[in-house]
Amino acid sequence: MFKKGELRDLFDSIFAKSWPMWVGGITLAVLNILLFVIKYPWGSSSGYANIGQNLFQVLGINSLGTSIPISLHAVALLNIFVVVGAFVASLLSKEFGIRVAPIGELIKGFVGGALMAIGATVGAGCTTGGFFTGVAALSGGALALGLGFTAGTFVALRYLLWEMEALPNISMGKNFTFLNGTGKKTGWQRWLGWILIAAVLYIFSRYTASANGAAKIIGWHVFLGLILGMILQRSRYCIVRAFREPFMTGEATAPVAVILSILVTLVGFTVIKYFGVGNAGELSMRAIEMKAVYANFWLRALIGGFIFGLGMTVAGGCAVGTLWRAGEGHIKLWMSAFGFVVMAPISKLAIVPFVKGILPESMQSKLFLPDILGYTGAVVLVLFILLLWYLFVKWNERTGKFSAL
Amino acid sequence: MQVDQTLDCKGLSCPMPIIKLSKALKSMNSGEVLEMLGTDPGSKTDVPAWCEKTGNIFLEQAEDNGAFKFYIKKK
Repeated sequence: MFKKGELRDLFDSIFAKSWPMWVGGITLAVLNILLFVIKYPWGSSSGYANIGQNLFQVLGINSLGTSIPISLHAVALLNIFVVVGAFVASLLSKEFGIRVAPIGELIKGFVGGALMAIGATVGAGCTTGGFFTGVAALSGGALALGLGFTAGTFVALRYLLWEMEALPNISMGKNFTFLNGTGKKTGWQRWLGWILIAAVLYIFSRYTASANGAAKIIGWHVFLGLILGMILQRSRYCIVRAFREPFMTGEATAPVAVILSILVTLVGFTVIKYFGVGNAGELSMRAIEMKAVYANFWLRALIGGFIFGLGMTVAGGCAVGTLWRAGEGHIKLWMSAFGFVVMAPISKLAIVPFVKGILPESMQSKLFLPDILGYTGAVVLVLFILLLWYLFVKWNERTGKFSAL
Repeated sequence: MQVDQTLDCKGLSCPMPIIKLSKALKSMNSGEVLEMLGTDPGSKTDVPAWCEKTGNIFLEQAEDNGAFKFYIKKK
């Protein structure tokens, strides 16, 4: 029927070399649209917060706890299975390895994660749920978040360059690598990858076999988390790079991939919101329209985005970037995930109420752009901003005006 | 191949290897060869892309005992 070589070619085309980042961008956009149809578009930071709250609950610190277990929290499970998916993809492509960075880097990972937790809770969103999803969901706050990320990334990159000159020892010192996929005797990595895929499919089938509709939805988050994680690892899709590279190397590859991704998502989300698709008639048209539009326009988003931008640049991965790199075996990003998980509940309890208290209502409002511009005007505005972003990164790639390296 | 300087980026993840690479090349003379060691799979695409962008010459890539080795000639 077919030659053995044909299956091998198929496998190699997926796992032998990295995908272009824009391929990841488009496929992730399609999955984000599916997540929206199933329940809610892609986000990540609320999942970190839930995992942290469960951790505090286990430790007996109930004021930072929650009544929702991880097994019933769709976003927490999505996060976990993104890690699993990236782990699987890195095993199958023989790119897995436990990489322990020097101690200074591990501390930077933790601090970066903690800053991201503060930024995501204060700004009501991370680069994925707040920005990538938010812009496509026609949220005004998402645009303010983007400005905050840009400023935070710029400042933190200056710090990294300064650190390299003034404190080079932070990124030097003892490092270890275990179970590396390169070299000989690594066939077990691929076997483990296939076994994990089978295990995830089993978990998926258990959730979807339930008569409970909520369990079915959670089951799909398990499955889509696996696929998202695999795509993220293969394409090395990275929103930090989209904000950082124009100021660092000047390369436009990452920003163009993210712009393309938002563009595809924008089309899908607009159709969903316009027609009120999904949720099997449970929700009002207005509730569907307001999905992924948070009470953060504009200063709340700007402040949170700035802090998040600092954190993601120091950690070397945003909320989702942390997940897939953790799955690939970078211990620095495990520290970042740990910092995020621990800090998110603390920030929600102690920092967010303070910020919400001092900001006037007009600086933390839910702005759904079509409410003031109509659907056509809102989509044209977002397209115009994406076009300006594209022109800026391509011009800067050519001229290097804003690039440090 | 004559290697003039070696840069150890093992254990580091993005963006540290590229920042270190840029700094290391600044201290070298034109035509000298840098050997860069790393373990981040991202470096396999990042290092050649950065060389192409900056005009430095990416000579070759090898793997040794779990670490990637990149050879770069300063422009």
